[in-house]
Amino acid sequence: MNSEEVKIGVYICHCGGNISDKVDVEKVAEDAGNLPDVTVSRTYTFMCADPGQELIVEDIEKHGLNRIVVASCSPSLHETTFRSAVVRGGLNQFLYEHVNIREQVSWVHASTGEATAKATTLVRAAIARVRHHEPLSLIRVGATSRALVLGGGVAGLRAALDLAVYGLPVTIVEKSSRLGGQVAEFGTVFPTGESGAELVRTLVRDVSALEEITVLTGARVTGATGYVGNFTVMVEQERGDGSTEDLEIPAGAVIVATGSRPYEPDMGEFGFGQFPEVVTLPDFIQILNETRADGDLTVNGKMIRRAAFIHCVGSRQIEGIQKPKPGRPLNENCSRICCTATLKAESDLIEKFPGVFVYDLYRDIRTYGRNHEEIYERASRDGVSFLCYEPATPPVVTMAAPDDTGNLLITVKDNLTAGMEIEVAVDLVVLAVGMEPADVGPLAESLKLPAGADGFLQEVHPKLRPVEMAVAGVVLAGTCQSPRDIEESCASASAAAVKVAGLLTRGHVDLEPYVARVNADRCEGTGICLSQCEYDGALKIVESVIDGRAIRKAVVNEALCTGCGACVAVCPTRAIDINGWTLDQFEAMVDAMCADPVEVASD
Amino acid sequence: MSLRADPTLISEIERFGAADVSACFNCGNCTAICPLSKGETVFPRKVIRYLQLGLTEKLEASPEPWLCYYCGECSETCPREANPGEIMMATRRWLISRYDWTGIARKLYTSKVWEVGLTLAVSLFVVLLFVLFHGPMLTDRVSLNTFAPVKWVEYGDWIMAATLSFFLLTNAWRLRRFVMGDVRAGPSIYLSEISTFLSHAMTQKRWRECDHSRMHWLKHFLLVTGYATMLILIMVLLRWFQTDGWNVTSLFGYYATAVLLYVSADMMIGRLRKRHEIHRHSHPTDWMFLILLFLTSLTGILVHLLRMGGMPVPTYVMYVIHLAVAVPMLVVEVPFGKWAHLLYRPLVIYLVTVKAKAKSTVEATETVPVTT
Repeated sequence: MNSEEVKIGVYICHCGGNISDKVDVEKVAEDAGNLPDVTVSRTYTFMCADPGQELIVEDIEKHGLNRIVVASCSPSLHETTFRSAVVRGGLNQFLYEHVNIREQVSWVHASTGEATAKATTLVRAAIARVRHHEPLSLIRVGATSRALVLGGGVAGLRAALDLAVYGLPVTIVEKSSRLGGQVAEFGTVFPTGESGAELVRTLVRDVSALEEITVLTGARVTGATGYVGNFTVMVEQERGDGSTEDLEIPAGAVIVATGSRPYEPDMGEFGFGQFPEVVTLPDFIQILNETRADGDLTVNGKMIRRAAFIHCVGSRQIEGIQKPKPGRPLNENCSRICCTATLKAESDLIEKFPGVFVYDLYRDIRTYGRNHEEIYERASRDGVSFLCYEPATPPVVTMAAPDDTGNLLITVKDNLTAGMEIEVAVDLVVLAVGMEPADVGPLAESLKLPAGADGFLQEVHPKLRPVEMAVAGVVLAGTCQSPRDIEESCASASAAAVKVAGLLTRGHVDLEPYVARVNADRCEGTGICLSQCEYDGALKIVESVIDGRAIRKAVVNEALCTGCGACVAVCPTRAIDINGWTLDQFEAMVDAMCADPVEVASD
Repeated sequence: MSLRADPTLISEIERFGAADVSACFNCGNCTAICPLSKGETVFPRKVIRYLQLGLTEKLEASPEPWLCYYCGECSETCPREANPGEIMMATRRWLISRYDWTGIARKLYTSKVWEVGLTLAVSLFVVLLFVLFHGPMLTDRVSLNTFAPVKWVEYGDWIMAATLSFFLLTNAWRLRRFVMGDVRAGPSIYLSEISTFLSHAMTQKRWRECDHSRMHWLKHFLLVTGYATMLILIMVLLRWFQTDGWNVTSLFGYYATAVLLYVSADMMIGRLRKRHEIHRHSHPTDWMFLILLFLTSLTGILVHLLRMGGMPVPTYVMYVIHLAVAVPMLVVEVPFGKWAHLLYRPLVIYLVTVKAKAKSTVEATETVPVTT
């Protein structure tokens, strides 16, 4: 390629007026057109539209272009669009360079002069960089035809079933002795009113019927190695006799469905742990399910006539008001399920024991899902009395006087009654506890799975890639990712299954070529690069004997390298580079930006 | 000081005719739409909130229920169909029972047996009085004043008026204590606002601020004029009005009867047809009130017609029936029933003004800078 004459095509997009209203696109194109090796420089209303893409294809054919630069929106929107246009024009897709002059220029700058100067500079840098581009190939590696699902709750079961449809072998690893997770203990579930245990039974029956699915219960993951298509997951399974068995499970992809756990209130939080009549919502649901309708509802031997439910316990926590638990961040998120679950539990309570009077103390009611509002309305019609508190003045639970109408006294400033302080005497306080992520275990450590500030595992992009993790080949299902209800958990599990199926049914995976490469002529085998590498097995030093001399050279495992560039920064001999992001390219870009600064025209 | 919630108040108020207090989710549409809710006295939301939480003392001290004239706009716009207008009505019934120290009002509102029983008992008492003490029944001509000498009837009137006034005024005194709370107002403030009481008592002018209620106000105003006319005729002018001949007071009697018959009949038809929000929900006591009023007017004019027609015995019998309807209506309904509103409404409006004035006086005194 070096011998070939470089011919660059530059395209500046108007994006309707999104860019051209702020950036003088003609001026940018004119500046680019005057740079060496630029054969074509144009503007167009919508480069992403078919005629825009056709411009590129035609120009490649007509002018023999061999490098393409498009300055338009964010690359996450249209880089692949223009890469495929480049391919249609007969070029390697990696001979393309994308410049973002919308999100990073026209949308964020007020001055036309400054925006135009910045766009011009960025385009100059891209032209300098694209000159050094080389044709690259995707890295193809074989893939193990088996998926591992970590967690046997509804999300894990759903994902396993959806994968088995493709004929892919699946191994479910469940740490407890049974499948079904928390849903099996929920009693009936909203909004359908079905039995949670029955839902789980249906899923387990289907899973058991499929020979593609292997279930390991009482099994813990102890570690994992490998990369997309070729993971090895170490599992320790309890045997009947109390001993354990170590297994190594090869898997092309991993679905993490480790779920969540209910927030456990602090000692004394709303009287929890202090008064036996203060219980969490999951505990209450269990008490309600275990009490016969013709019997008495009792807690701690005391008959329940009045009950209060308090929302947002361990959810939507605010710094300065709540304290985080040791080693945990504040649970700032809304746990999403608790409003509807609480209102449903209130109606269930009243339905089973019509004499019980129910208070509901909330910050906001968020019955956001389809058919959830009906559950709110039902609770209201059932006679639940609502009180609304401010986060800064949460209800206070104290012991009532012995002769009072209830064992406990709740004092709360009620927004619905002009902020008056209201006292409620009750026999039972139910805390609508939020969701915390369950412990993912050693897998997270081994595969470096990223988690958000809230501790839940994090997807690549909440909208554009909602179930994939930044670690290729690992996808998310259910509440390990964020609080959600059963419907949403199963939807994400099905999405995760399809992602994995798409990956594994081809028998191989293609990886981006942006990985490290070693220039063997320069490498002196110092091994400094190895000391900086974060990814086990991505780099190694290979010794060989050439002409009777022992020679040490660094070697890259392209499947394991993530292209982070830590090795590049420390190599004393500039022997290592990242494909498509070489040091030469960075230098060329910096030179292009600094050598002859673009003058800012006044507006 | 925090207020104690009491979940039993909802079921209590439902016995007074509120159907669906729990359905309200406190959005406040009712208060926003109400043309009378303004300034310091905002309703119905606040009242419903007190009910939902069972804040009995707050509710007893609330003037708001009496400031509502039930135009029904709130019920028409309530997104939960919780019927705030009727809840306000039920609250007024409950308040009447709270003001009443005898406990009779509560019995009347919560038990049909008591309501019908007490009315019948008073009726029978009146009939019994006539059976035992009536004068000679002249049959050759109609002589009502021989059968029931006006002097004795007048004494009866006054005894009755004294009795019902005693109960009504003692209850009103309790109302004053509830509404004024711990606000102290001197006699001068009470006196200076007396015109407020009188003008509202006579005209119900506040009702005219309701958007859709001009017609209802007009009919009600007519009813009040008829009622007041009749009250004066029987309390002050009875010796002329109950005549065996003809007296000019009869002309006023015709007016009062016409108005009372027309409006009470119109109200009953309204309740049967349920066309307007104000008539859509009927408590048994609403019917009792209208039926007694209509029958009193009807029997009254029949006494007159029979007398003019020269039919002695039917006249005497009709006269007894007339009083057997009119007396329980006044004795039962005025101090313990729906008719108490003729005093309570203007009284509350009056007290709200007095209270505001007393408060502003106190504030003005407190903010006077101390100079030495």
